[in-house]
Order: sequence, then C-alpha cells, then structure tokens
Amino acid sequence: MRKQLLALGATLALSPCLLAQKIGVINSMSGPEAPIGENITNGIKLAEEDLKKKGFNLQLVWEDDTGKPQISMSAMEKLATRENVAGVVGPYTSACSNAVAKLAEKYKVPLLIPAAAKEEITRQGLKHVFRMNAPADQYASSLIDAATALGRPKTIAFIYENTDFGTSTSKTAKDYVAKKGIQVVADVSYPKGSADYRSTLAQIKSKNPDLVFMVSYVADAILLMRQSKEVGLQPQAFLGAGAGFTTAEFAKERAISEAVISCTQWTDDVSWPGAKDFGTRYKAKFGKEPTYHAACAYASMMIMAETARNAGGDRAKTRDGLKAGKWNGVMGEVKFADYDGFTNQNNHQMLVQQILGGNYETVLPAPFATKKAVYPFPKWK
Amino acid sequence: MAVFLQSLISGILIGGVYALIGIGLTLIFGVMRVINFAHGDILMVGMYLTYIIFTMMGVDPFVSVLITFPLMFLFGGFLQKVFINRILNAVAQNQILLTIGLGLIMSNTVMLIFTSDYKILTTSYSSATLQVGGGVSVSTPLLISFLITAAITAALYWFLLKTDTGQAIRATAQDRDAAQLMGINVKRMSIIAFGLGAALAGTAGALISPTYYIFPQVGGVFTLKAFVITVLGGMGSVVGATLGGVLIGITESMSAVYISSGWKDVVVFVLFLLVLLFKPSGLMGKSRT
Repeated sequence: MRKQLLALGATLALSPCLLAQKIGVINSMSGPEAPIGENITNGIKLAEEDLKKKGFNLQLVWEDDTGKPQISMSAMEKLATRENVAGVVGPYTSACSNAVAKLAEKYKVPLLIPAAAKEEITRQGLKHVFRMNAPADQYASSLIDAATALGRPKTIAFIYENTDFGTSTSKTAKDYVAKKGIQVVADVSYPKGSADYRSTLAQIKSKNPDLVFMVSYVADAILLMRQSKEVGLQPQAFLGAGAGFTTAEFAKERAISEAVISCTQWTDDVSWPGAKDFGTRYKAKFGKEPTYHAACAYASMMIMAETARNAGGDRAKTRDGLKAGKWNGVMGEVKFADYDGFTNQNNHQMLVQQILGGNYETVLPAPFATKKAVYPFPKWK
Repeated sequence: MAVFLQSLISGILIGGVYALIGIGLTLIFGVMRVINFAHGDILMVGMYLTYIIFTMMGVDPFVSVLITFPLMFLFGGFLQKVFINRILNAVAQNQILLTIGLGLIMSNTVMLIFTSDYKILTTSYSSATLQVGGGVSVSTPLLISFLITAAITAALYWFLLKTDTGQAIRATAQDRDAAQLMGINVKRMSIIAFGLGAALAGTAGALISPTYYIFPQVGGVFTLKAFVITVLGGMGSVVGATLGGVLIGITESMSAVYISSGWKDVVVFVLFLLVLLFKPSGLMGKSRT
C-alpha cells in the first residue's frame, strides 16, 4: 500500500513535467551585458506567449549567466543534467556561447544560439550547436561591400573593443579588405568601458583614413562617435559593426550618429513574414523598439519549441529536426546549413542601414532599401 | 607632436577626475582604516542623482554639483553612522564584506528602479571642443570638469590644513586613540570623513556624467581605479591620491597611443607593481609600524 502510494505520488509529481515541453534559456539578464540581454529575454517572452496561444505546453527554465562564460557553463551543466531540457536557446555573448557550445556537444543537448557573432562557434563541426544570426564575417563583408558600392575608399582604420566579438569581427574585416585592395592604415583595439578614446582617435586622424571601421557595444559606440567629433576625425564613412551602432539610444544622439553606416540582422520594416507585426506587438508589450536580438531570440524560441514538440522532447530527434527543417518567419528564411566551413549555420541575409534624420533607414541591398545612402560622410558641424 | 600633446592633455584632464575619486577613498581609509569597496557604487549613485536632477529639473550637470555634493555628504554620513560605525573594530574581512554588501545593495536597487539600460546625458556641449592650436583640441565638458575638480581639491586642502575640523580629521587619521585622548570627537570626525569621501565620489560621478555613460554596474570600474590610485599614492595620503590620479590618467592616455589601447591597463598595473616594489608604502605614503 505504502509503495503504491509512493508510486502514485511520484507519477503525480512527474506528470506535468512529462507533458510539458522543457526548454532551457541561458541569457545575460544581469551584469554589464544586461541591456542587450533584456531584448533577448523580451523576444523569448513574446515567443512563449505566442506558443502558449498555439496550445504548446511549454515550460521555460531561465538561467542568468551575468555575461560570464564560467557561469554560462554551469547553467548549461544544470540544464543538461538536472533539468533535463529538450534543448537550449542562448546564451547572448560570443564568449559565453563559445564556452557553452562545447558543453552542448558533450551532453548532446541541441543548442540554438540566437545572436552571438563569433564565427568559430559554428566552425568547430559541433553537431548539436545551431546558430540563427549571421556570424561576424557577414557584418564585415556587408559593410565593406556597401562602402565600395557607394564610393572608392582606398584606406581604412580599425578601432574595436578587445573582446571575442570585437577581435573576430575586425579580423575577418581585415582579411576581407586585403582581398578588396584597401590598405589598413591603423589597427587599434581598446578595453571596453574606457572613458577616454581621444588619444587613440587623434592618432587615427593623423593617418587620414577613407573609412573608419568600429566594433563596439552600446555605450562605447556613443563615446567613440562623440570623441571622433571632438578630435575632428573626418573619413568618407564611419562603419559601425553590430551591437552598439544599431540601438535606438545611438540613433537618438543625432549630433553624432547621423549618416553612420551600420548593418543589422533585422529591422521591423523588412518584408519578411510577421516582422512588422512582431515590431508592433513588441512595442505595445514592452514599450520600446525591438532590436535584432529580440527578433533573433523570438525566431529561435519558436523554432526550438516547435522542433522539440515534434520530436516529443527527445534530444537526438530534436537535433535531427533542427538540421532537417526549413522555416520562414520574422527572420526571413531559416535553414541550418553546412557551408564555407560552417556547421548548422543559418545563412542569413544582412541588411545595411544608415542613420538618416535620426532613424535607421535600410540603404542596401536594393530590394529592401527605404532611402538612398548619404556618401561621403558630411562635414562635422 | 600633435598626437603627443593631445594625449597628454586628455590624460591630465581625465586624471583630475580620477584624483577626485581617489581622494575620497584615501580620506575614508586614512580616518577609519576601513577599505571602502562600495566607493565606485557611491560614485554610481552620484551619477544617477545627476541624471535625475538633469532630466527632471533640467539643471545642468555641472551646476548640479551644488546639490549633489551636500546630498551625497548626508548619504555618506548616514552610511557611516548606521553601518560602518559598527564594524570599526572588527576584523578586516568583515569590513570588506560589509562594504561590498552595501555596494551590491546600491547597484541592485538602482537597477530595480532604473533598469540596466545605459543612460547618456546629452547636453548642448556634450561633444563641443576648444581648439588649442597645432591640431590639438580639448573637450569642453572635460575641461570644465577638470576645473571644478581642481577647485574642489584646493578647497579640500584648505579645509584639511587650515580649519579646526580639518585638523581634527587629520589628527584622527594620524592616531585615533591619541586624538580621542586630546578631546577630539572621533566618532563625529569619522562621520564627517565618510560623508566627505562619499560627497567627493558623488561629485566625481556628477562630473563624469556628461562625458561618460551611466549604468548600475558602472561602479566596479571606478572602485578598481580608485584602489590603484590610492595605493599608488600611498594609502591615506591626499596629496598622494591627487598625484596618483593624474599619473594614472596620463599613463593610460600615453600607453593607448604609443603601445596599444588594448594594453593600457597592463601598462598601468605594471607601473603600479613597480612603484610598490621600490616604494611599498606608495609614492607619498609613510610606512607604519
């Protein structure tokens, strides 16, 4: 009798877990990366809402990695061994994602990375690691292609933060400009969070480059542009790769952000199915503009949840489902393919945009363009 | 040459603000022998205070120092009276834990109220510059903040050297027991010292706001910097902290140009280690036995 009761109790306790689809989320919810992490959190929350409306019995297990790889790794261990999730969406930063990717492979847990840029992550032949966003080399080649399409730059200066994201993006950019015959006249990295870049920028100014290529997260991007104006750095174009140059805060600083060219994974005026609707609903729910991170996270969670359900929560089948599937949603067409040394990488179409009148306007590629690009960069006032 | 002058000038200007942060920390250590790990977070509170005053009341960040300074003084005095005072005679670990804890509470409270979004103060002169000639330009907000820093430091020197309270604070720093025996109200001096330290950190926060960005975790960067500055200058020495701040500012700026910005922290710490190797008590410190 006692045994039966215990068994009954155990079944009762377990039954919701058996029915619910358990998916792990690792994200930077606190710590210095939290401002961008928040977009990912919001994107996933919106996906959760939509999935529940569709009748999914979804249970998300949230883990905060505070932006630190070692905490990210212990979160993955926990999700893989104790929480028994069908798959994991996250983490945010390149450093965390790269650390967690190897663990995902070890525990054979399908991992879908929404928005980390470092190429190496999907270049190690890891079978359980998938990536939604285009990797760092796409930022670089899209931006430089845009500059060569708009003008005839001969020299370029690089300034980037000395993190995984910064160094890997600028390294591929350097390889790419070498192929295009553009000469690198300055190449400087900086520790993020510095208060003063004036001396470095003055040094770059003395080389008089045609293009200035910057890779930074949010706040540094504003400081770099402010101080570029201060020292009077005047290239033909400022190219801002990723994160910091594609935020609403940056666009708001009109005195220094006007005509800066950047590229992004996503905007809400793109013609991908559901993109506009996602933008409107996101604004209504969270009271701010969605960034590409939010859209990437949303699409990642939708795909992961759907695949995991079709696979009945089985990890191996979920992995196969992700590998074989094809989707079309807010991020355009998604397929995890093997190409150019990448494994399970979505070959995503990047959009080149320029800040015009305080707004991000898509200027390239032509089918998605909303405004004509301004080139060369107007004189500082 | 233009590059050299440019980096020297921005180094000195940034160093001035560093000095202000360092002086606050060194003052607190000098009087109470408590290492204040919440120093950067107090600075962060000062930044948010400036932000509120600027966005809600439209008071210019530099003018708002007049409000920030007394408010942060009261805040520091409150921290000292309610928390720090209780652990003055405790072992060092407990003091460290308490100040770290206070710092965590501050940064997380601010995060709850303001979220972790970066805030940037945009004033009409945020990216204004003065052309000095020879291709060298000076950031206007940075120059103003340097001048205010210099004025505050001068006032502080005068206060510590010439006034009775200032002398009592220095006496307490020299020998707490002896000072007490001479009839100095040591507890009150501690409150004033912590209040002053917090006010200086808060003011530094206010002065940095127009040229830097504000977020709840910003304190960590400055706590570390403050330690390097005070230890370099000699724990407890106000002159040393001033010197240390300017020295670190110039070193950062110069090494960013002539070595690599990625290596500038390494250069700062190597310099720091060298000073400690040859002068363990810091540049201006007196060794205690």
